[in-house]
Amino acid sequence: MTNIQVALVGQPNVGKSMLFTRLTGVGVITSNYPGTTVEFDEATVNYKDVVMHVHDLPGTYSLSTNSEDEKVVMEMLCDNNNDVIAVVADSTNLESSLVLAIEVCELGLPTMMVLNKFDLKRFDFDIDTLTKIIGIPVIPVSARTGEGVDNLLKAIYEKMARVSDYRVQYDGHIVNYVKEIMAMDPSITWGMAIKMMEGVGHYIESASDDVRKRIEEMNEEFTSIHGEGMNVHLARDRYGDAHIIAMTVCKRTEQKSSRKDRISEMTINPSTGIPILIAVLVATFACLIFVGGLLAEGIETLYENIVGTALSDFGRQIGGELGEAIMTGIDNGISAILGLVIPYIMVFYILLGILEDSGYLPRAVVLLDRTLHKIGLHGNAFIPMMVGLGCNVPAILSTRIIRSRRERIILCTVICMAVPCSAQLATITGVTGRYAGFVWVLVLLILLVALGTISGIVLNSRLKYEPSNLAMELPELQMPRLRNVLAKMWMRTSDFFKLAVPLLIVGCIIIELLVSYGVLDEIVDPMSWLTVGLLGLPAVTIIAFIAGILRKEMSYGMLVILAGTQGITEITDFMTPHQFIVFGVVMSIYLPCLATMTAMYRELGLKETVKISLATIIVAVAIGSIFNAVLNVIM
Amino acid sequence: MRNDNREDYLINILRLTDGTGTVRTTELASYMQVTPASVTEMLKILSKEGLVNYQRYRGVSLTEEGVLKARELRRKHHIMERFLTDVLDIDHEQAHDQACAVEHSISEETADKMCRMIGTKIDADCTTCKNPCNDGTVTIVKCIAVSKMRQGDKGKISHLSSGESTMVRKLISMGFVPGRDIQLTTSVSDKGARIIKIGEATIAIDKDMASAIFVNLE
Ligand SMILES: Nc1nc2c(ncn2[C@@H]2O[C@H](COP(=O)(O)OP(=O)(O)OP(=O)(O)O)[C@@H](O)[C@H]2O)c(=O)[nH]1
Ligand SMILES: [Mg+2]
Repeated sequence: MTNIQVALVGQPNVGKSMLFTRLTGVGVITSNYPGTTVEFDEATVNYKDVVMHVHDLPGTYSLSTNSEDEKVVMEMLCDNNNDVIAVVADSTNLESSLVLAIEVCELGLPTMMVLNKFDLKRFDFDIDTLTKIIGIPVIPVSARTGEGVDNLLKAIYEKMARVSDYRVQYDGHIVNYVKEIMAMDPSITWGMAIKMMEGVGHYIESASDDVRKRIEEMNEEFTSIHGEGMNVHLARDRYGDAHIIAMTVCKRTEQKSSRKDRISEMTINPSTGIPILIAVLVATFACLIFVGGLLAEGIETLYENIVGTALSDFGRQIGGELGEAIMTGIDNGISAILGLVIPYIMVFYILLGILEDSGYLPRAVVLLDRTLHKIGLHGNAFIPMMVGLGCNVPAILSTRIIRSRRERIILCTVICMAVPCSAQLATITGVTGRYAGFVWVLVLLILLVALGTISGIVLNSRLKYEPSNLAMELPELQMPRLRNVLAKMWMRTSDFFKLAVPLLIVGCIIIELLVSYGVLDEIVDPMSWLTVGLLGLPAVTIIAFIAGILRKEMSYGMLVILAGTQGITEITDFMTPHQFIVFGVVMSIYLPCLATMTAMYRELGLKETVKISLATIIVAVAIGSIFNAVLNVIM
Repeated sequence: MRNDNREDYLINILRLTDGTGTVRTTELASYMQVTPASVTEMLKILSKEGLVNYQRYRGVSLTEEGVLKARELRRKHHIMERFLTDVLDIDHEQAHDQACAVEHSISEETADKMCRMIGTKIDADCTTCKNPCNDGTVTIVKCIAVSKMRQGDKGKISHLSSGESTMVRKLISMGFVPGRDIQLTTSVSDKGARIIKIGEATIAIDKDMASAIFVNLE
């Protein structure tokens, strides 16, 4: 079997990930905003007698800014021995996609162009002419409908990718410089020389001192004549060419709908945009509480009807008393997280998917930019926060779209401390809300917003200032597709079934064993100054909190199991409403789960991770104790 | 003569920048029809005298003192020009050229007296000028920062100017490249983000970034 390495590169939001899923059948997240993919994905396709290794890369606008994300993509392109570089272009914005395609062509690698979103038919294309001009095959596809994907596979299989001989009409001075550099060192190709003159680190670093010095002189000389640096002029020439090519090969057949423009305008303009934003957020939470609640009831009844006492009966048959205890614990734990936690998580992800796919999020980013300045962030921090309401791990990873380290530290702290992940959100709504009243959900949410604001303000005044800016492309608004929304929901929740349930079973067995040996109380006792003393909770809740470090949705399951060990079947007999409030407070603030800490360690390093984690514990205990003390007085 | 030359630079920088913006040396050179090298040389002198802020490659702007001086000159220019056209009935083009020559040598007092004789108050802004000098032989392209564009304004990017090279690189990569046409569709608020149509794309940038992009308005 031969292996073919295929790399999908392209500007953000052109549909690389959707195409990746079409090609490989492996689901990855696609959303209608730039910067969805921040990590490489790889999957294989067997096609006839070859194995294609397809790589989905994060989107980049160009290959010349020296930013971290572009460097990584550049290295992947140059060092991975790719057999095919597939530049994914957006057929509704050919000009700008062409500029990146030209840059990739200049690297001198086997390339082809995939003209995606062809189903939109906003332009008529002259594909043959385009192919002829840029010297690489151009394959129109629609990742959404699957149209043309077979042609793409066939083209990859038939090794149609070409090293392009297309040359941009660069300024005469630059052409002379390029020739001079190539003469100084014959191993330097045309494309490499261009990248060096653009000041791209990857290439400049490999150049000899002489070449580097000469290029600096050239840049001075060029700037004094043209009044702009070579990198600016190179881009100017590239856009010039791309514009002419786009004018030659495509004709507009359909205007962008002006209705979409009007709606977009309304979402951005503060006078209408702020009410819309508030409405969207309120609707999201209302939906979460009501639909989640309905679903929870449904699932609980269903579970009881199907499973009933089957598990505990089965336990008694095979293991006597201990067996029955274990199985009853498992039964309670599973029904607790299936019934109370998972429904909310699923509903949340459906809502998030709708928001992501509509293209609304980037508009909220624009609207919130000035507000977020107050806590040292920019509007673009809004997207990781929204993603964080689902799961903090991808949220931490998606902070990569922010370049300033200072802002990433602030944002990660805010996410860990004050953005409840869907499991925490489910605990707040499904447990605290249900047993202590829904008004407490509101109280806790307000508390978290305040906490996030305060931690942002504090860090903003502590950390050294770094310049940073907001620049975000606003994708076209579109109607979310049910299929994609559900697919994403499943991708993001299947882990709960695959990991949380087995973990819960293991946890249950351990606890029942501890109880049967009579050591549970001894284990939880040393921490009772915290749980009982400060927080006023049953001593065993410490185990629920510890389980929550593994996975947040396990806490409540464990709590139910723990209640069972005390001979209590109704959770409301185990804790008072007041205790459920304190439990909800601590649950939504204390320690990020292991996976989040690992992600943070990778992104920010050990020091920040430890600092942030410790801070969350202290804050959680402090606020939990205050709630406990106050509630003791008033309730 | 040297003095005249210096003052010509000041007044022309004022014309191109409106007193607040930045103009590139190459633009100034082509506007004044002199070589970039001589512009550079003069700017160094003016910069030493504290009349302009000049940074290589980024361009030049007037200092506060420079603005005052340039506006004083422009006032004299306007008065002289109006005197020639209104009182002596000389045609505008000639009046402009001669005013350019004389503006350097008349005293404040002379100017005031001429002003009184014409009978209208004439100041340094072009508003009182019956026939502003940019109607003359040279066409002034008004170059402003995107942050100063109003909703609906269209223009062509003339240059990027910022102290931060990473910002310039970022702007270029997102398509803010000299020569491209852009339109400001929305300004979220005075200090807020700007929404810009460029090619088929719609991009939001904050005010800092918008202040680094200069356009020639349509
Ligand atoms: N109409 C249409 N829309 C598409 C097509 N392919 C992708 N999209 C939409 O384009 C948006 C972006 O898709 P993604 O696959 O996430 O884009 P990406 O290139 O991976 O984006 P980044 O990861 O941010 O770089 C999604 O909202 C898709 O629904 C297509 O063929 N036709
Ligand atoms: Mg992607």
